[in-house]
Amino acid sequence: MKKLLFMILAVVMVVALFAACTPEPVAPVEDVVEDVVDDVEEVVDEVVDEVVDEVVEEPSGYELAMITDIGDIDDKSFNQGTWEGIVEYAEANGVTHKYYKPTEKSTDAYVAAIDLAVAGGAMVIVTPGFLFEPAIFQAQDMYPEISFILLDGFPQDGTYTEFRIEANVYSIFYAEQQSGFMAGYAAVMDGYTKLGFMGGMAVPAVVRFGYGFAQGAEYAAAQMGIDAIELKYHYTGNFDATPENQTMAASWYGAGTEVIFAAGGKVGNSVMAAAEAADGKVIGVDVDQGSESDTVITSAKKELAISVQQGLAGYYAGEFKGGVSEVLDITVDAVGLPFATSRFNQFTQADYDAIYAALVADTDGIASAILGDADVAAAGELPLTIVSVTVFE
Amino acid sequence: MNSVYFLVQQTMFFSIPLLVVALGGMFSERGGVVNIALEGIMIMGAFASIFVISVLQDTMQGQLLLIIAILVAVAAGMIFSLFHAYASINMKANQVISGTALNMFAPAFATFVARTIQVTKSINFNNTFRIESVPLLGDIPVLGQLFFQNTYLTTFLGIAILIVSAFVLNKTKFGLRLRACGEHPQAADSVGINVYRMRYAGVLLSGALAGLGGLIFVIPTSTNFNATVSGYGFLALAVLIFGQWKPKRIIIAAFFFGFMKTLASAYTGIEFLSNLGISSYLYKMIPYIATLLVLALTSKKSQAPRASGIPYDKGLR
Repeated sequence: MKKLLFMILAVVMVVALFAACTPEPVAPVEDVVEDVVDDVEEVVDEVVDEVVDEVVEEPSGYELAMITDIGDIDDKSFNQGTWEGIVEYAEANGVTHKYYKPTEKSTDAYVAAIDLAVAGGAMVIVTPGFLFEPAIFQAQDMYPEISFILLDGFPQDGTYTEFRIEANVYSIFYAEQQSGFMAGYAAVMDGYTKLGFMGGMAVPAVVRFGYGFAQGAEYAAAQMGIDAIELKYHYTGNFDATPENQTMAASWYGAGTEVIFAAGGKVGNSVMAAAEAADGKVIGVDVDQGSESDTVITSAKKELAISVQQGLAGYYAGEFKGGVSEVLDITVDAVGLPFATSRFNQFTQADYDAIYAALVADTDGIASAILGDADVAAAGELPLTIVSVTVFE
Repeated sequence: MNSVYFLVQQTMFFSIPLLVVALGGMFSERGGVVNIALEGIMIMGAFASIFVISVLQDTMQGQLLLIIAILVAVAAGMIFSLFHAYASINMKANQVISGTALNMFAPAFATFVARTIQVTKSINFNNTFRIESVPLLGDIPVLGQLFFQNTYLTTFLGIAILIVSAFVLNKTKFGLRLRACGEHPQAADSVGINVYRMRYAGVLLSGALAGLGGLIFVIPTSTNFNATVSGYGFLALAVLIFGQWKPKRIIIAAFFFGFMKTLASAYTGIEFLSNLGISSYLYKMIPYIATLLVLALTSKKSQAPRASGIPYDKGLR
């Protein structure tokens, strides 16, 4: 053992000797070491200057930046959908791009990540999720020359007292209630009468999915003349695959629930695990999750990728929708079901096209009658007559 | 009656991983090394074995693959726990810090490797391991439905590990020596027991069981592994303390925790329970309140191994 150590030491010394003879790479290191001995602060300043120089000198940097919301870039859901849109656009147009993951879930960390992105040369920063609202509220003033695309949110001061959008921010909302509506409609039209909804945290987008789901089921039931639909309704309070979520889903399937709409990132995987064991069905969320499990009959999608690309295209065409906040709904194909990969029994393409067209045209006010998260306080208060909602805290 | 079957079957998914991991912690602590790295080891075990499953599942399925995964999980857990053993036994490092370091390292490592190899962090797997009904045994009325339907090979493995663990710890020479090293290593050393070797054995056993626990934890409850075991390693520590470092009490603690966790989630699907109107928060709180109570009432005569957490120093007498 000792011999080995000596050998290693000897090798290290020899290498060091040779290294000392070759001037270029080692000399600056030695300088730095001397500086450290002389004055630590000076070195720190130098290093900082160097880094800043590099950033300034490098004209390209990463022009498109995305800051991830809680969850990861490959969450098969919100972050991933957004990022795929950015990547696709960037690669098609030869733009540099990079994503940044905040160190924690806090406005400070989000602002720090934005700082980092700007220092990295970002011109456009995409931030998915309403949690970014206060961060963008601050950043829009800090970086007036940078453009921001905020998904699912409107800049506010963090206390919901002051709302303000500057000319460098484009805020996008989605009509998730329409997507959920179609999922609920399709499920009931396909013959399911005992439904479940398991959302993640009760954030506005998730709530809209849930409300839409209940109302879509109601609409289909009325159309088909069904007199009773059961809907179990729960927010898990997390976006993770846990045994708790799996157990709850399993207990619902055990109690007769036929299909569960899982609107909460990885919560869906727990529901799928339960569905596979209990022969139940699952409805996915955000992106087409049909490939993750054979139990997924369809997914309530929102076209994150497409809308991000449209926003970016607008920016590069000099028509950035700065200062605009808009809700992307079915009229611009921003929400829908992936019919081609869905596993329906009775619900046909014609049925889907009919309800889609009716929603787009707002026939008999069908689309505008769908209530969103701001319209009612809880799922139990939705004006439903056929669907009986049982909310579990 | 169906809901009773369901509750019991579901409780197994919670309790067996807790049981196995807590037994792992028991071996380590009875040998004198505090192992709070259980969470990290679970992640490593689950990561390695789920990865192997995802690679091999195209060529093989079912129980054979599960057995291979079990071996991989055990091996990965043991290798990972070697770090903890080396730091806390050879280097005499603070065992809490070493454990914390492993806990922080494991998810980062799993994420990094998964991304490097297959782009995404979550590793998908097909669950082909569920046993609808055990042949013959599953047909026994009541008992068959309770314990031998909708189950996994790992459930029985967990019970077997409990029995073997209890026997090894209390009835064998090895168990006696291990316990001696956890109570008074100097005394053990004075009669010729190699304390370092015994402690290594304890930590390696804990690594093997915690790694296995990670696999058992993930398989029934998800369709992919996402570099997390949701804090169940720490919960297993609570089970270990609640169980007072004794196998017989650990199984009671594991099933108590598991049953309460099941109730907290499953009451929504059981009419009788959801009609009671008890908030799920109450169910969720009960195991922890019980742990606090047990600790408060028994701390005076707590059964914690006396030398647990103290690096062995030959010079001390």
